[in-house]
Amino acid sequence: MTHNNNRYQYSQLETYKERIELKHLKTKTLVINFINLILASVTIYFFIKLQIEARTFVSILVMFSILFFGNLAFYSYDKDQFNNLKMAMYFNTFGMYIISLTLIILFQTPSIFTALFLVYAITAVYQDYKVMVISNFSLFLSGTLLVFRFPSLFEIPGYSSADKAFIVIFLVVFVLLISLSSFILIKRKNFFYNQLAKIKEAEVRNIRILNKIENLVTKSSLDYKEYYDSLRTFSKEISKKIDVPDLFNRKISLLEDLKNHKMSEILSRYPEYSIEEVNKLKMLELSTFSKIKHIGLKASKHVDIDVESHEIFSEDQFKSFRHLNDDHYVKIISFTVFYTLLKIDKPYLKALDEKTILEALKESEFYYKIDRTVLKIYLENNEVFETIVKDIFEGGWSYEDDVKQDH
Amino acid sequence: MKMMLNKIINTEFLTFNEVLKLKVTIVNIFLLVFVVLSIPISSLNNLTLDINILLPLGFFIIIGITFLLTFVNLSRVAMHFSIYNVAGITLYFTAGTNNFYAYILFFVTLTIIIFYQDMVTYLVYGGIITIGGTFYIIQYGISFVGSNSLSTSVSQFTYLVVLIGFYLVFLIQFFISDSIYETMNNEWVKMDKILSKYNDLSVRHLASMLEKHDKEPLYKNTKFQQTVSEISVFINEFFEDEASNITEAVEYYFFIHDKEIEEIMNNKNLTLTTRKYAEQFNKYLMNKNSELVSILFDFATLFKETNEFDEYRYSYNINEIFDDKVDKLLSLAILYKYLKTEITQLDKFGFVKRKLDHSEISEMFESNLFREFISYEQLNFFKDNQELFDEYL
Repeated sequence: MTHNNNRYQYSQLETYKERIELKHLKTKTLVINFINLILASVTIYFFIKLQIEARTFVSILVMFSILFFGNLAFYSYDKDQFNNLKMAMYFNTFGMYIISLTLIILFQTPSIFTALFLVYAITAVYQDYKVMVISNFSLFLSGTLLVFRFPSLFEIPGYSSADKAFIVIFLVVFVLLISLSSFILIKRKNFFYNQLAKIKEAEVRNIRILNKIENLVTKSSLDYKEYYDSLRTFSKEISKKIDVPDLFNRKISLLEDLKNHKMSEILSRYPEYSIEEVNKLKMLELSTFSKIKHIGLKASKHVDIDVESHEIFSEDQFKSFRHLNDDHYVKIISFTVFYTLLKIDKPYLKALDEKTILEALKESEFYYKIDRTVLKIYLENNEVFETIVKDIFEGGWSYEDDVKQDH
Repeated sequence: MKMMLNKIINTEFLTFNEVLKLKVTIVNIFLLVFVVLSIPISSLNNLTLDINILLPLGFFIIIGITFLLTFVNLSRVAMHFSIYNVAGITLYFTAGTNNFYAYILFFVTLTIIIFYQDMVTYLVYGGIITIGGTFYIIQYGISFVGSNSLSTSVSQFTYLVVLIGFYLVFLIQFFISDSIYETMNNEWVKMDKILSKYNDLSVRHLASMLEKHDKEPLYKNTKFQQTVSEISVFINEFFEDEASNITEAVEYYFFIHDKEIEEIMNNKNLTLTTRKYAEQFNKYLMNKNSELVSILFDFATLFKETNEFDEYRYSYNINEIFDDKVDKLLSLAILYKYLKTEITQLDKFGFVKRKLDHSEISEMFESNLFREFISYEQLNFFKDNQELFDEYL
C-alpha cells in the first residue's frame, strides 16, 4: 500500500513546527556556544602551560574566535532566524571538527585524539538529522584516517600494533550506538513537534465545528447590540471611577462599525488608528469565528483542566481503530461505522464522495489509525463498499433532513 | 533483522517498553560482537589463563540472561544487566596491561548508558563510571601517555577533561531534552483534554438537537444498522466464511448503545466474551464522546476552510495578543461579558444550559490556570473594579 502523508494535512503545521523548533534551537545554540567558550578556555590554559609558540597559539585562538563571532552573527541577524540558526548549527559542527583535527595533528598524542568524542558529544546536543550524519561521517572518517595515516599518534611506550584494530572497532561501536540513540531521539522529537502542531490546529478547527453545531442547536447568535451597549455603560462608569475620559467608547464604536463597513471606510472614519491597529482590534469583533469568541469558548472549558505529573503522552492516548488488544470484529465494525458515517450528511460535515474518502484515507495520518488488513480490503474493494451504501441509502439521509421532515 | 530495522524506523509508534526492549536487544548484540572480538586482545591482559577464559565466559552468560529477561518482558531489569555487563568488561580491561583500551572502554560504557536515554540511569550509572574513570586516569593515566607528548601532566589532564566533559555534555543534552519533552508532553496532554471537552459538548448538542425534534438517534436507524452490518460481513469474508458471528457482533454493538457499559462489565452472570466486547465497543459508541466520535471530528477538520497561519493563531492570552493597554482592558471586559452572557456550562442533568455567574468567573480569573488567558495586571484591574464588572456587564 503506497502512502503519502502530506496531501490531507493541516497547511499550518510546518510554520508552527518551525516556530517550536526555532525556540529550542535558540537555547541549544546558546548552550553550545557556552560549552565552546569553556573548551577554548581549557585549550588556552593548556597552551600557556605547554608554552606553545605564539604563532600556533594565535592561529588556534583565531579559529575559536571565528567560531564564536560567526555564531554571534548568525544569532543576532533577526531576519529568517530559523535558517540562520540552522546555518550556525552546520558552521559549528564543521568548525569544531576542524579545530579538534588541527589540535590532533598539531600534538599527535592519543589523549588529544579523544577530543573527537567530545566534539561528537557537543554536536549531539542539536538533535538534528543532518548534523548527526555530518558528525558521524566526520568522526568515523577522521578517526580511521588518523589511525592509519598517523600511526605515531597512538604510539604509547610498550604497546603493540594491535591497537589500531581496537580503535577502529571502538569507533564503529561508538558511532553506531550513538547514531541509533540520536536517530531514535530525533524521531521522537519530530514526532512531538508534529503532534503538538497538529493538536494546536485541531483545536482551532474543533472550536469552529463546536460553534457551528451550537448555532444549529440554539438557532441564535450573539446579541451584538446588548453586548456593545453594556460595554459602553461599563466604559463610562469605569472612566468615571478612575477619572479619565471615556476609556473604551471610541474603540467600541469602531468595533460596531466593523460589522457594517469596509476597511477603507473605517480608516477614514477613525483616522487616529492605523490599519494594523484596526486589524488587531478586529480580533475583538463579536462575529462567530472571531478571536475573542474563541478565547471565551476556550476559557469557559479550560478552568478545571489540570495536567498531573504522571500523565504521559503515550500511544494509549492515540485514538484509532486498531488497538492492539481489540478483537478483529471490533476493528472491522469500528471502521465500518466510521466509513458509513462519512457517507451521510452530518451537521458538521456533508456526506463525502467515494473518491474523497479514498484519497483522504490514503493520504493522511488516518491511514495509521485503521487496521492494516481492514484498510487494505477497503482500498482494494472500495466500490463494493460504495455500492452497499448506495443500495441501502437510496435518496440519501442526513441529520438535518431528518429533523426538517419531522418539522 | 528486517523486523528490527522496521521497528527502529518506526520507533515513534512503539510503546516505551517496546523501545526499551529494542534498545536492550541492540546493546546485547553489540556486546556479543564486542566480547567475541575482544577475546584475542584479552591474551594481552595480565591475568591468569583460567581468569582469561572464565571472565569472557561469564560475560556470555550475562548476555544470555539479558536476552532471556528481554524475552520475558523484563526489559528494565535487562537494561540494568546489560549495563553491569559492559561495566564488568571495562573492569576486566582495567586489570590488563593495556590501559589505553580500558580508558576507551569507559567511553563505550557511557555510550551504552546514553543509548538508553534515561536521565536517572545516566545520572547514576554514568556518574559512577565517570568517577571510576577519573580515579583510573589519576592512578594509571601516566602509563598511556603518548610517545609524542610534550607534558605528561597535560596529557593526563586532557584525558580527564575529555572524559568528564563527555559525561557533562551528554548530561546537559539529557536536561535539555527532558525539559523540552516535559513541556511539550504537558502541553499535548492538556490540549488533548480540552479537545475532548469540545467533542463532548458537540455530542451533547447533537443529542439535544435530536431530542428536541423527537427523532431517533442514528444508531437506531435501521438503514444505518443494515449498512454497517453488510459492509462488516463483506470485510469479514476475507477472514472467515461464517457470517453469523460478525452479524451478531454488529447487533450487539448497536444494542449496547443504550446500556450502561459499567453494569455490563460488572455483571458476573454475563459471559466473559460478552463483557469483553462491551468493553472494546465502548471506545466506538456513537452516542458519547468516544474515540470514534473524536476521530470523526478530527477527520471533519480536514475539510474545513481556515485562514492562513498568523502570529496569534494559537495564542489565547490577551496580554500577549494586544500591545495597547486599553485594548487589553477592553478585551478583558468582552471576555468577562462573554463568560457571563453565553451558555457554556453543563447543568445538573448534563445539558449545556447554564451560564457562569460573577463569583464563578472571579474564581476562574484568580486561578493560576487562567494565566493562560489574562496576566496578573489584568487580574488586579478586575479585582479593583469587580463591582462595576458585575453591575454593568
